[in-house]
Amino acid sequence: MMVAGSLPWAAAEALGTSVPELAAYQDEPPQMKSGTIGKTGYLRLGFETRGSRTILATLERRVPYLAQRALYCDQEMPDLATVFLITTTGCLLQGDRMALDLQLGHGAQAHVTSQSATKIHGMDANYAVQTQTVTLAKDAYLEFVPEPIIPHRRARFVSNTQVCVAPSATLLLSEILQPGRKHHHPDECFGATVVSLSVAAVRPDGRTLFTEKLMIEPERFAMRQVGVMNAFDVFGNVILCTPKDKAERILERVEADVRMADGIAFGACRLPNDAGLIYKVLGHNTAQVKAKVREFWGIVRKEVTGADLPPPFLWR
Amino acid sequence: MADAATTVQVSALAHMLQFGDSMFPIGGFAFSSGLESAVQKGAVTDASTLLAFTRTAVEQAARGDGIALVAAHRAAMAGDVTELIRIDEAVYARKLSDEARTMSVRMGRKFTEMGVHVLGAPLLHAWHDCIRKGQGHGCYPVALAINFAVQALSERHAFAVHQYGIAASILGAALRLMKVSHLDTQKVLYELSGDIETAYERAAKARLTDMSGYAPLMEILAAVHIKAHVRLFMN
Repeated sequence: MMVAGSLPWAAAEALGTSVPELAAYQDEPPQMKSGTIGKTGYLRLGFETRGSRTILATLERRVPYLAQRALYCDQEMPDLATVFLITTTGCLLQGDRMALDLQLGHGAQAHVTSQSATKIHGMDANYAVQTQTVTLAKDAYLEFVPEPIIPHRRARFVSNTQVCVAPSATLLLSEILQPGRKHHHPDECFGATVVSLSVAAVRPDGRTLFTEKLMIEPERFAMRQVGVMNAFDVFGNVILCTPKDKAERILERVEADVRMADGIAFGACRLPNDAGLIYKVLGHNTAQVKAKVREFWGIVRKEVTGADLPPPFLWR
Repeated sequence: MADAATTVQVSALAHMLQFGDSMFPIGGFAFSSGLESAVQKGAVTDASTLLAFTRTAVEQAARGDGIALVAAHRAAMAGDVTELIRIDEAVYARKLSDEARTMSVRMGRKFTEMGVHVLGAPLLHAWHDCIRKGQGHGCYPVALAINFAVQALSERHAFAVHQYGIAASILGAALRLMKVSHLDTQKVLYELSGDIETAYERAAKARLTDMSGYAPLMEILAAVHIKAHVRLFMN
């Protein structure tokens, strides 16, 4: 939540000092102090409709966060505003505080993704925090589908996303989490110290929809345990907020299966308070998980907007 | 010769056994907490994978519902119904699969009704009214906490009963779903009960907003169960 009158990244700072999973890591980096210039990224993107098209009406940015302009590169939805999130430092380091604010006005349609994977470097002091607020007005449609998160060994990362979604709007929020650079070092697979990812959603009138807090602390809770990751390496988590009738049509079309031999598992459940669906995927490699997320995204787009997905980018 | 304090302890123990019994008639036998899909899909095949699966379930419960249970016990001791409603909503908002919600709400409501009937304490009546008026969902950890609080049974014991109940219901389902003996399931149950004390110490210090978890395969198994055509259990 943004506190009135304070700097936008103050929420990230406050989160880092209040959550118990970071209590043991409050020391300052010997390099640049946490939360200083260059370590507090901020990006505010406001989308609005102009005629049939959605434009990027507001853009505020602060390094290392960067966005340039809306592109209209989706052949299937030519009025859809596409924005690539860029981090000029190319990764998250200890002491980084990032804040992202996405707002979609009445009927706006946007696709937000990142330029490349978010790498979170190993840490020996402090931690990295990211806060995101996503606000969707009536009939808005947002696909927020960033590239995967790659936590390196000894990374400490907390992310908090606050969603406020109107009953008629649709939000597709995808996150793909890799176990680390698993071919780089034997300790790299689930080598992060803390990865904490939370999403809380409400209606504009303040009614609670759902909350999810995923907490990965491999040293405390075994990752290879039955029911947790088993032999799977990559995890995809897709939250879909959409009206109930659309959610039911989508759920009807989405498959669910666990194929231990093929190394893939996926399925969707209904979120509480008629908020929509949550779709989860486990796989051995990122490509498998991305393909399943894309399949789900394709069904969502078709059922909600009537449009198909464009062919996948060759190098993404 | 038994003194007064021992007499109180003995009846308290009997009451805990009654309300913590896996056969307590609140419908727990109808739920497998994902084990049915896990067995069908080959994620649980023998006693050792059953132990690991059940351990995941009780760990998730301790990190999530267990924290709410402790908070609800404290709110119930203070007679704070508004706080109980808030905790109940927080539990419900974190149940991200349909069947997990159904289980929590059904068992919680039955448990509350049973408490009203057997104990009749004013707080139980007040909570039952809240559920009937739609002010509360009636989730199980909150129901258990109120029940124990009105009997002056400690939050520590309520937590133990909650954790034991999760393991016992999965292991009860295991006997009907897979090739495993009573000897094996009792061994698993005994082993998992040894972890309850440490899990309680952690939950007792946590805030409601600290409720968390991480068991993606369990959640996918729940999604598979929703789509399954032939089902013995309700989750």
